[in-house]
Amino acid sequence: MNNLWVEFIGGIITVEIRGKGIERLINTFTRNGILIWHVKRHGTESVTIKMRLKDVHKIRPIIRGSECKVTFLRRTGIPFLFKRLIKNSGFIIGAAAFLLVIFLLSNMVWGIEIKGAGPETEHKIRKELDEIGVEKGKLQFLLENVEGIQRHLSNQIEEITWVGVELKGTTFHFQVVEKNEPEQPEYASPGHLVAKKKGVIVDMFIEEGQPIVSIHDHVKPGQLLVSGEIGKEGKTEIVAAKGEVFAETWYKTDVKYSLKRTFQVFNGNEKQKHFIGIGDWQMPIWGFGKVEYQEFETEYNKKNFRFLKWELPISYTHTTIREREQETKILTNEEAFAAAKVEARNDIRNKLNENDKIKGEKVLHKSVEDGKVILSIHFQIIENIAVAQPLIQGETE
Amino acid sequence: MAKNFGQFMKKWMTKNLELPQDVMMDLPRITMVGQIHIYIENHKGLISFSDKELRLLLKQGQLLIKGNSFVIKTILPEEILLEGQVDQVTYLNE
Repeated sequence: MNNLWVEFIGGIITVEIRGKGIERLINTFTRNGILIWHVKRHGTESVTIKMRLKDVHKIRPIIRGSECKVTFLRRTGIPFLFKRLIKNSGFIIGAAAFLLVIFLLSNMVWGIEIKGAGPETEHKIRKELDEIGVEKGKLQFLLENVEGIQRHLSNQIEEITWVGVELKGTTFHFQVVEKNEPEQPEYASPGHLVAKKKGVIVDMFIEEGQPIVSIHDHVKPGQLLVSGEIGKEGKTEIVAAKGEVFAETWYKTDVKYSLKRTFQVFNGNEKQKHFIGIGDWQMPIWGFGKVEYQEFETEYNKKNFRFLKWELPISYTHTTIREREQETKILTNEEAFAAAKVEARNDIRNKLNENDKIKGEKVLHKSVEDGKVILSIHFQIIENIAVAQPLIQGETE
Repeated sequence: MAKNFGQFMKKWMTKNLELPQDVMMDLPRITMVGQIHIYIENHKGLISFSDKELRLLLKQGQLLIKGNSFVIKTILPEEILLEGQVDQVTYLNE
């Protein structure tokens, strides 16, 4: 028997035949290769049959030669469904538009919350965010990723030490730590201030305690600078000595710097690739072709699409491939010395605190050996050399 | 004479060569599933059809099927599948 589902795809027509000699007509149909099924008698002069849509034009000449009349009753099947679909396309367009709107709205930024910042800093952060496009109503996948925003804010706004950026659903949460937060008063135990290294004192700022040394004094490590004993003789009181003693100290640094330098540089050639990923499978949508760079670095920026509160397994990945080149440069002795000095200075800076100053530097020795310059530099530093030394009971004189 | 000889040969061949008779002699082959289905091969056309009666032309004579609520499920030049309640199947030889 013929499969009705196959016919359904092609389209089925229910036909009513009225008149005399219907049986003869059906015989003629079958002999002409017209497939007929579901033949049903309704009264003496009427029969309904079902036939294929594509056979309809074949029955016309056959009917003309007979005494019967034909009416088409019902049309079923895919072609008619399709026709109706087009007729009612408003519904489908509406449904699709609805899903699209929800999808777009789920991928927008709907709120920016800043916590831990004063009004002024908050205003600054908002302005900065506006500048990089983080605003209400922006599409999330057009924005920088969270790390990028964080980096940008930390670099651009000096008032903040740290900012945590988190994207929860459609809201950006910023957790800000401001620099000018009042410091926690440290608990100091009673004691003296002593020198932590040798040097010549250039300045003193004593908050609490009795200064023992004065400016231009030469001090040795461990030497008492500020005493925690205050008051008159015999009526002394022990406090926590507090203050800063700035002294000129000396450092010697040896730097070796090779004349032949190799740099890793990006030469500006880059390729952009865009992918739409479903699960682990990635489909390129823009930026085809092989990467012909010999050495390159790839940066991925992946964003997941969302629908309402769910993260879809569909993602958009923007890949940037940058060509890298190795460059070798041979420095002259002078250049190498200058670079070595900079390195020495950076080196010393890393050892020092923020408030310390480099007062002067003196090159003690320079030489060139096996393609390397060797530099010995003496630095004069102004730094705080006072460290607290707790007074332990019973050790006092 | 010649026609009778032909008939004779056919009969003889089916008998001795064990060939299926419906193929050799153009006889209808009727398959029934209980009372609800009847499937006839090798018919020669529809003579009359109503929901209580179906008449088919055969090579020799006619086939009359009687019953209730007949619907022709499929009709092809030499095959017909009838559905309904089949009460009688009768051969009519003129």
